[in-house]
Amino acid sequence: MDLQAFNQRILPVQGRLFRLAQMFLRNREEAEDAIQDVLLRLWTNRLQLESYQSIDALAVQMTKNLCLDRLKSHQKQKMQDGADVAEVEANVLSPHKQLEDSDSTALIHKLIGELPEQHKLVLHLRDVEEYSFEEIEEVTGLTNANIRVILSRARQKLRDNYLKANDYEAGY
Amino acid sequence: MKQDIEKLLEKYYEGETTVEEEKELKRYFQNEDIPAHLKSHTAQFGYFVEARNEFPSLLFSSELAAKLDPPKPGTVRQFGSWLIRIAAGLALLIVGFTGGWLFQSRLEQGDNVFLANSKDIASQNAMKDALAFEKMNVNSASERIQAVNQSYELSNVDKDITQLLINTLNFDPNVNVRLAACQALQHFGNEPNVSEALVQSLAIQTDPNLQITLIEVLISIKEKRALVPLQQLVRNQKVMEVVRIRAEQGVNQLSTADV
Repeated sequence: MDLQAFNQRILPVQGRLFRLAQMFLRNREEAEDAIQDVLLRLWTNRLQLESYQSIDALAVQMTKNLCLDRLKSHQKQKMQDGADVAEVEANVLSPHKQLEDSDSTALIHKLIGELPEQHKLVLHLRDVEEYSFEEIEEVTGLTNANIRVILSRARQKLRDNYLKANDYEAGY
Repeated sequence: MKQDIEKLLEKYYEGETTVEEEKELKRYFQNEDIPAHLKSHTAQFGYFVEARNEFPSLLFSSELAAKLDPPKPGTVRQFGSWLIRIAAGLALLIVGFTGGWLFQSRLEQGDNVFLANSKDIASQNAMKDALAFEKMNVNSASERIQAVNQSYELSNVDKDITQLLINTLNFDPNVNVRLAACQALQHFGNEPNVSEALVQSLAIQTDPNLQITLIEVLISIKEKRALVPLQQLVRNQKVMEVVRIRAEQGVNQLSTADV
């Protein structure tokens, strides 16, 4: 696989990977950094790439894993840096956070971020990227029924949380 | 329509909608006029649509391209083993030393020949300059003596130099300079024009000191032609006694050498 073929097959996926990374990491720069890492890894392993059925699914999986790894190492750092401080911050909404929450799109973004990882991933793939159930199966390795359940829960949870947050704001 | 949307929403939350139906929902919530009881769903679908339009920045793409296709590294071949490296180092050292040595030796040789030549020429020029007739009044006597003495250092002498010395001997206003020229000419006595000039000069010179020196020089080079002017000197009553005695001795020496 030469560079041109690689570009043709991988670069269209770039945007999708970027959105996925951004959903997980919630930071533009970090997301770009992460998918750059993923694409470089794909490029260095381009010879083995032919044997995979779907490079898209592989790339999405790699991005997901990399993002989760990064989140874990971030959390570890935070724990070491000062778990107490993080807790204090979580309880008191800063003026900046409040402003952010007032924007409903940003609020949804934040609420998605609070979902369990599995839910996050399925919801993102389905509702943002418009993957079919078969494609989601390929990426996550879950069964069709399982995916439907997760998707349903994730959607309801998101809605509940959104209504709660709005009520909280309204009542405040 | 409104009924449809409500049904679709229900299906949506059950996870039973198809991608097409979800697209319809998204389209619906993009509209401006949404009933109040459905408004709370807007943010969610709005987010989905908005999130899909996110793309990495252009800068990122170009950076990535540069990383995927890094410029080819130069074709500098690494020296393989350490043995080759050491050999190369030694070769460099040897080449350096021999080159330096050759250069040095050539420089020394060239220096010797060239310097000798240039020295000669330089001192000749200086001499000619100092003794030049028209400059006789400009240069002091001691300078002229020094110039004459430079002739001792010359290895090979041409006619110009001897003629210059003869001129100095005959016409220099200072006795000491003439004396020095006379003594310098003694070295070149074997040259024909020099001995002839010395004989002639004997007739011209009036200073007793110089006359005696000339007589001695002529005796030392055994110049036969000097016999006539010497005999004239002996007969000349105006010449100093000492000079006449010396001239007589000279006549005797030259004539005995003849026998």
